[in-house]
Amino acid sequence: MEETTAQEALQIDLGNLMAFDPYHHFPSLPSSREELVKECLKRGTELVQAIADTLFNLPSTEDVDGPLVKLPPPVTRLPREKHLPRPKPPTKWEIFAKAKGIKNRKKDKVAYDEQTGTWKRRYGYDHANDEENVPIIDAKMTDEPGEDPFAKKRKDKKKQVEKQEKNRLQNLKQAAKVGALPSHVQLAATALPITGSQAVPKKVTKEELGNVAGMAATSTASGGKFDKKLPGEKPAKHKGKYRKFLPVVESKGSSQEKEQTEKVLNKLMSKNSHEILNVNKAVTMYNVKKEKKWRNKQEKSSSSSSKLKPKKKLQKKPSNKGSSKKGKAK
Amino acid sequence: MRPLDETETTAVFEKIFKFTGNNLKNIVENPSHEGPDSEPGRYCFRLNKNKVYYVSESLVKRATNIARTNLVSLGTCIGKFTHGGSFHLTVQCLSLLASNAKHKVWLKPTSEMSFLYGNHVLKGGLGRITENIAPGDGVVVFSMSDVPLGFGVAAKSTQDCRKLDPNGIVVLHQADIGEYLRMEDEL
Repeated sequence: MEETTAQEALQIDLGNLMAFDPYHHFPSLPSSREELVKECLKRGTELVQAIADTLFNLPSTEDVDGPLVKLPPPVTRLPREKHLPRPKPPTKWEIFAKAKGIKNRKKDKVAYDEQTGTWKRRYGYDHANDEENVPIIDAKMTDEPGEDPFAKKRKDKKKQVEKQEKNRLQNLKQAAKVGALPSHVQLAATALPITGSQAVPKKVTKEELGNVAGMAATSTASGGKFDKKLPGEKPAKHKGKYRKFLPVVESKGSSQEKEQTEKVLNKLMSKNSHEILNVNKAVTMYNVKKEKKWRNKQEKSSSSSSKLKPKKKLQKKPSNKGSSKKGKAK
Repeated sequence: MRPLDETETTAVFEKIFKFTGNNLKNIVENPSHEGPDSEPGRYCFRLNKNKVYYVSESLVKRATNIARTNLVSLGTCIGKFTHGGSFHLTVQCLSLLASNAKHKVWLKPTSEMSFLYGNHVLKGGLGRITENIAPGDGVVVFSMSDVPLGFGVAAKSTQDCRKLDPNGIVVLHQADIGEYLRMEDEL
């Protein structure tokens, strides 16, 4: 019974996982600090228990890691961490405009371009009434002879841009003094020349130092080949020469390219020189010769051994002789 | 435009060597009679924007007037280096290969058209073939009237060709003069 009443009295904000007992008071102030701590811990566990109880009463979905609960949106409003941004001091132009009573009027996004007779955007690429696009400038009585009016126009424009940049930095400086720099400038503020003190020079990293050392070491006549290496010094990053090609057109007398092509050609020829010998052809020729030899041998041997063959030869010989005789007779 | 370095020269020569064999020497040492010089100059290989050109030296000398970015072509383009660094021959080098070819194949008039559309050479379309072709050799393809039509790589040796069935591939197509029409904008 006691517990339930206690829980009801608690204010529980589940969105922030927070519980608060607005009616708590110590029945009697604890005498020692240890006792106070003990009391606080006891009340604390009660509060945490209350949070846990309500948490497990929420509808949950099952997951591999256990039940999942969707927290309701937080009720208690917490104070913001940083102060509200301070109002920006008015720029010089804003002060001037206020004094003169100049009001900012909204301008159309597009403007009429008199040169082309079309509507174009007021600012940006290909905008209306672009001064740089004027092809012809009328001569005036005040024009100085020998001065390029186009170049003058460009110079004036550049000057105007520089002046505007100067004004911008001046205004930022003013804002920085009050501590009202716009948030998009705050991080880059040290890089801008507005704080008065220059940015701290960056510390040179070990790698950069090594690179410089390597460059210095190789800038001797030998390219650092014979230099003594310091302990821990690494070899130069870019070893050897850069890729170099032969000249496109050689001067008379030099024949580097010819030499190179000849070298490659000879290498290729010698590599494939075994192809001069056609193995297949050689083998067939060898086989044919061998066969012929073997036949001849057989004929000779058969002429001495067998008694059939001589007859043939005898038969042949007369015919041969006859033919030769015939040829002679003719 | 620049001369080839040694590895590039090797790649180019090895590719041409497949087609011409030792006749490669004729190509490299070919005298040129271009230009105002009385004595004959030489032909050389030049690289411009990945394409390799076979140019006479006197023409190279005059082409140096033109910036590399503006130079579209000079001499005869014989091939190009791929992004991966290998070298491919293109059709324009056909006349060079045909005059120095080691291995040749002649096509029957009926199958000329098929080859010119980019198909491989089949046994059925084969008119004549030179001896001693090994698979992988470069082969120049002619019509029966000795007009060079293209080139390719032998798929079968000459001996194997005799036993091959009529639909078997003899020469794998690499380039043909039909490309002048088909790939006009790429060449």
